[in-house]
Amino acid sequence: MSPFVFLFGMALLSFGVRNVKILQPLSIVVVIAAFGVSLMHTATPLVGFETPSSFILFELVLFVVTIATLLHLEQTIAITQTLFLVATALLVLESNTLVSFVIAFESLSIVSFILVSFIRTKKEAQGAIKMFISGSVATAIIVLGVALYLLEGHSLLEAVSLEVKGFGSVGIWLILFGVFYKLTIVPMHTWAADSYAEISPANSAILSGIAKTVVFVATFKTFAPFLEKNTTFSEPILLVLALVTITLGNFLALFSKEITKILSYSSIAHAGYMLLAFVSVKSAYAQNALLYMAIAYIFMQTALFLLVDKLSDSKGELYLEDLKALGKKDKLSALFFSVQLFSLAGIPLLAGFLAKAVMVYALVDVNLVFVALFVLLNSALSVGYYASIVRYFYFEDATKENKINPISLKVYFAQAIFLAGTLFFGVFAGVVFEF
Amino acid sequence: MSSFVLALLLLPFIGAIVTFVVGKLNKKIPFFLAYIFSIVLFVDVVYLFSVYEQPFVIDYEWFRFGENALPFGIYIDKLSLIMLLIATGLGLLDIHFSHDYMKEEKDQARYYAKMLFFIGGMILLVSAKELLGLFVGWEFMGLASYLLISFWHYNKAPADAGVAAFLYTKFGDIFLFAAIGLLFYFTKTLDIATLNHLAATNQIDSTLMYVIAIFIFIAAIGKSGQFPLFPWLMRAMEGPTTVSALIHGATMVNSGIYIVARMFDFYVASQALIVVAAVAALSAFVGATSALVQSEMKKVLAYSTMSHLSLAFIGLGAGSLAAGMTHLVNHAIFKALLFLSAGAVILVAHHTKDMWKLGALGKKLFLVALFMGMGILSLSGLPPFSGFYSKDAVILSTLTNPQTFGLISSLTLIAGVLSIAYGGRLWVLLFVSPQKDEKLHNSIKTPSLFWIALPLGVMAVLTLALGFFQEELISFITSTKGSEEHIGWLFPFMMGVIVFFAFLVWFFYYKRLDLLQKVSAQPLMKTIHQILFHGYYVERMIEWFVQTIILGVVTSFVAFIEKNIIDKAVNGVVWLSYKVFLLFGLSKSSQVSNQVGGMVLGVVVLVFVMLVRNFI
Amino acid sequence: MSYVALIFAPLVFSGFLYLFTKKSPLAKYIVLGYFVFLFVETLFLYLQLPQNGYLMLGKFLEVKEFGFILTLEIDRLSSVMLLLTSLLLILVTLSSWSMQKESAYFSLLLFFSGAIFGVFMSTNLMWFFIFWELTLIPMYFLVGIWGGDGRVYAALKFFLYTHVASMFILLAFFLIFKQTATFDMTQIQESMLVTPTLIWWLLFVGFAVKMPLFPFHTWLPDAHVEASAPISVLLAGVLLKMGAYAMIRFVILMLPQEAHKYAFVLLGAGILSLLYAGVMALYETHLKKMVAYSSISHMGLVAIGMATLSYEGLSAALFEMIGHAFIIAPLFLIAGFFHYKTQSWQMQDLGGIMQKAPYISALFVLAGLGALGLPATMGFVGEITIFLSALDTYGAWVAFIAFGAMIGSGYIIWTLRRVIYGPMSQKVQESNFSISWVEFFALAVFGIAIVAFGVYPQALFDAINEVFSAYNLGGAM
Repeated sequence: MSPFVFLFGMALLSFGVRNVKILQPLSIVVVIAAFGVSLMHTATPLVGFETPSSFILFELVLFVVTIATLLHLEQTIAITQTLFLVATALLVLESNTLVSFVIAFESLSIVSFILVSFIRTKKEAQGAIKMFISGSVATAIIVLGVALYLLEGHSLLEAVSLEVKGFGSVGIWLILFGVFYKLTIVPMHTWAADSYAEISPANSAILSGIAKTVVFVATFKTFAPFLEKNTTFSEPILLVLALVTITLGNFLALFSKEITKILSYSSIAHAGYMLLAFVSVKSAYAQNALLYMAIAYIFMQTALFLLVDKLSDSKGELYLEDLKALGKKDKLSALFFSVQLFSLAGIPLLAGFLAKAVMVYALVDVNLVFVALFVLLNSALSVGYYASIVRYFYFEDATKENKINPISLKVYFAQAIFLAGTLFFGVFAGVVFEF
Repeated sequence: MSSFVLALLLLPFIGAIVTFVVGKLNKKIPFFLAYIFSIVLFVDVVYLFSVYEQPFVIDYEWFRFGENALPFGIYIDKLSLIMLLIATGLGLLDIHFSHDYMKEEKDQARYYAKMLFFIGGMILLVSAKELLGLFVGWEFMGLASYLLISFWHYNKAPADAGVAAFLYTKFGDIFLFAAIGLLFYFTKTLDIATLNHLAATNQIDSTLMYVIAIFIFIAAIGKSGQFPLFPWLMRAMEGPTTVSALIHGATMVNSGIYIVARMFDFYVASQALIVVAAVAALSAFVGATSALVQSEMKKVLAYSTMSHLSLAFIGLGAGSLAAGMTHLVNHAIFKALLFLSAGAVILVAHHTKDMWKLGALGKKLFLVALFMGMGILSLSGLPPFSGFYSKDAVILSTLTNPQTFGLISSLTLIAGVLSIAYGGRLWVLLFVSPQKDEKLHNSIKTPSLFWIALPLGVMAVLTLALGFFQEELISFITSTKGSEEHIGWLFPFMMGVIVFFAFLVWFFYYKRLDLLQKVSAQPLMKTIHQILFHGYYVERMIEWFVQTIILGVVTSFVAFIEKNIIDKAVNGVVWLSYKVFLLFGLSKSSQVSNQVGGMVLGVVVLVFVMLVRNFI
Repeated sequence: MSYVALIFAPLVFSGFLYLFTKKSPLAKYIVLGYFVFLFVETLFLYLQLPQNGYLMLGKFLEVKEFGFILTLEIDRLSSVMLLLTSLLLILVTLSSWSMQKESAYFSLLLFFSGAIFGVFMSTNLMWFFIFWELTLIPMYFLVGIWGGDGRVYAALKFFLYTHVASMFILLAFFLIFKQTATFDMTQIQESMLVTPTLIWWLLFVGFAVKMPLFPFHTWLPDAHVEASAPISVLLAGVLLKMGAYAMIRFVILMLPQEAHKYAFVLLGAGILSLLYAGVMALYETHLKKMVAYSSISHMGLVAIGMATLSYEGLSAALFEMIGHAFIIAPLFLIAGFFHYKTQSWQMQDLGGIMQKAPYISALFVLAGLGALGLPATMGFVGEITIFLSALDTYGAWVAFIAFGAMIGSGYIIWTLRRVIYGPMSQKVQESNFSISWVEFFALAVFGIAIVAFGVYPQALFDAINEVFSAYNLGGAM
């Protein structure tokens, strides 16, 4: 039994259960079961799919996040889609050949399109269409890459070859660039800034939180050996892409006024940080750095988008102005929000700090000292916008009639899970290193 | 014995605290507490004086930082004892006098506590073994002076005067501070006796010695109101007259002379005495001439103090420790007498300080007039008053020392003989010239015999009696006999000039006041009068420099740097970030075709770069 | 009891305090009680210290792969800082006794105590850095929520500025780990490092911002001015001291050779801070800004003391750090009190307060005299010891820093004249200067300390001298 089977089965089953009051607990129980299976290492993987033990922790975190996410959802369709998406994400994560990776990746794209195609407003439609069109172009690029790879006589049924001939390496790079679409790396980021902000924040949470993170880990798992072999070429190009992505994300977030927009750019910037693990791939710390960042990021980003979803009004819009004096109106929400933001900003004792610290150390480890400084300063600058969101909660008085949606106890509980994750991984670094 | 010394050092501060705390209970208590404490202090000093055989020394390590230790020892020798007698004796008389003078004051506790604190600072200064302890006492007195000058802090003028006093003297103090640092660095000792010994045996680099001597002298200039740091002394007259008498006439202002005398061997070896003499001669001249035209009686006395302190400095500068120190002692007594006499007049005249508004007080204030007259005769240097001997000795020393003979001795001579002019003028205007304000005149009552006249009488007798003990005084201070040299023409010349000046004063200020007005109406005389009246405009110049250059130009310049360069650079990061934001914003498009186009273009560029690197 | 609780218990508990006590006065009693306990506990720890080296308090949360261990160790330097911090925390709580009502305020103080104890207790560089950064969070809120009109700008500027500076520190720590494979500062020696110069400069810049030294000081006037008075005390008394502590610990003691090479940089920054900030204080007519610049000026003096790299100079610098905390605290508190009563910071609006509030004014005068270095105050002892040490190391030419004392006298005396003395201004006449006895008690403690340790500094030097006696310090030249 593999966790994938649990989730996929539950996803299929959910079509039959139309009552959310039953479906929600039921699916949570199933995810817990998957968690247990994963924890016991008793899973029997499908052909072409398996999880190395070092990635088990991430898988467990994924389940915890899924549980907390499910607790936020109130519609059966959303639960169904989430289950499908997480199941597919598991496939991507577990894929260990190029073909299974590409197939799983494309399946994830399709599930994502289905997720965003649940359209309620014109804005959401815009976001969905941008994502869809960009996604299809990305798919085309991946297919082109696969074709080139095959052309040189490599087999798709194995892991990425370390001895790539001729145009084969161009093929691999094209596949990577195609995947970068999902990872929102410059120049493939253009859709993300708009789409994440325009589609419903709950969907953004799942896409930019869960899906993106999983793909990141999977991509690293699949391509790291290849990149390690070709650092002379990969290091400079990925470095430039990562730095541009970080800087672009941070600076565009710095002067945005809409929360979802800020979070989208922050998401792009974090993609840049994660890409740094691909740059410092030679370092022994690179894999841990990426895992740490992925774990931290999946908690922070998912929690924030979900909280924004709950706080925003019926139009799905949330401006900074609306959050004035949140600290007085809703102490707990403000606290959850602030802690996750500080974690994103890289403030210590929170997961975000240690993740960034290990990531930057990996850079120092491969002697990219001044790149490390650049990244650190960039990150320090990002405090500018994170801290100024927080300032609206506590430093400002409510001026206009800005109503905040009341938040249910269930959501508080779910947010508490996210908070616990952020705090736990902010203090107990050993878990990531030694799991 | 050591308990008496410790009591001497600690009692003033304990007294200050007790007076302040207990004194809040009742209006009368502070005076009696302070009175008792000052009597005890005086008796203590007298006892120490009577049992004196050899210098009394206590070594004490104040604190140790790292390997270095800073000492805080006590060293009481004859010089210290003389200063202690002045400080506690005049302090006692001053507090006695304060009983009536400060009667109307509501805040008795604060006044007496500060007075005791001041006496404590003075005691500390003169009994310090090391320069560090001396500096502590030095600063304590500066603080006490500041606090007492602005005793009536709720008025603008005393508050400003306090600020001036603190900052002028502080300017000097930092040089003393620097000198202490340099001495500690170069010689590893702050012990004054050791330093004197080292200097006398040429164990210190001569340049260094010269620099340090000058530094310490700058501090002395500030504290003793010498040119050009004297304006604070004139402003200090805003404080209570008892304070002026004790601090700004008799004791604190002497500390500059004391420190030079204390380090006399050092100064001799450093070759810096001529600088002392030169600056002091200038000060003596400036002070004496400015005193001639003041209209406030306390200002006359303040300028006279400046001038006479300069005479003491000149005595030291000309190489005669005996002349300088005896003049210091004599001056302390008659100047306290003069200030308190002026205080008595001010008290009965309802705080009228302008002597042109007073007159013909001689009958009502017979005793005051008598004692003040004695003080002025001593000030003018008329035998057999003590002032004569020391002033004569100072002038003599400048004439016999080839280094000071010439300009310095001439200035000294002028300053010396002008004393009778401004002193006589003061006395004549107050006591014998016709009354000017009927109403004021009629309201004046005779002051209390015990509380006011008695201390004046004691001091008047002292200044007279001390004249007969000059030889003893000199031998007590210097362990040597006074100068044996004499210049035959000096005494008749001085007497002649003094009589001549006395005549002039009598003529112009008593007999023919109308003539005086005519003379002073001349444009040239008017200009001279203005220059002298404002103390040669030194204060205006210093004030201009501080206000315009330091506070105006320098601080504005620094503030400009702070606001427009350093802080701007920080805020400039925000500006730069915004520019970067705009730059990235250019790449932003919400049009899907642009977005996809960008993606494809990006991939093409990347592939192109890759191909170029791989295949070419 | 595990000592790790001294750090984490306040961090966790402050959250509960915030969420559950709302506006009841319970919070401040709990926090005060805890701080008193903390002071006693620190004193107890101090007495247990070995003569040299560290007292091990435990190792936690070990991550072998990353050299990441929460090692809690204290030596004499850190326990002196702990004592100062816990004492100041008590006094700061008392100073806010009647002015602050919200439990959140006291919760943040509690949170701050945990973070600052972490800074002084951990000898692992990473954990040191973690707590170092963590202190920013409570400060950000304390300045931003309970500050003056420009508090938001000031809080953000403070947060961003110091956070950016911290990045240099982090990078330096990473370089150290890369080159020595350990984060344990007791094991790191300069000889193990490949690029000590780069590390030294990174650390120097990072800590110079916190101290702050010219030209990295501009966050301070804003933060101090906008923060409420007790928070200014915390900033000046604890946060700045944290910078100075780190400067001694890392820039000087950990990298002695580089420190010798670049001591002149520290000296230059110190002298510039002393004079430049002094002139700025002369320029300011804003009462609290004046105090803030005077604070920078004094930290310049501390830097000069450090730059000597001698046993004497470092002891003097440590004394001045403590003295500065006691002197600047009442200045901030009373300046804040005057503003609270008159609603004005401008000196020309004040004046003659002595007539209305003689005791508080007298304390202000006393603290002012301490700031200008009058003998028998802590200010003088710090000043003269640093002065003598600086001469000892750098020779006669540094004697010109005595002018700092003149500038100091200038701004203090003119401020006293404009604020305390002189005729009463309109605003002062209309205001009522009553103060609660709790707050006055806190002020009086500062006043007594300034004089007591000024008259008998040996009491402090007994402890301070032992701090550096174990180190082999040669002096900078």
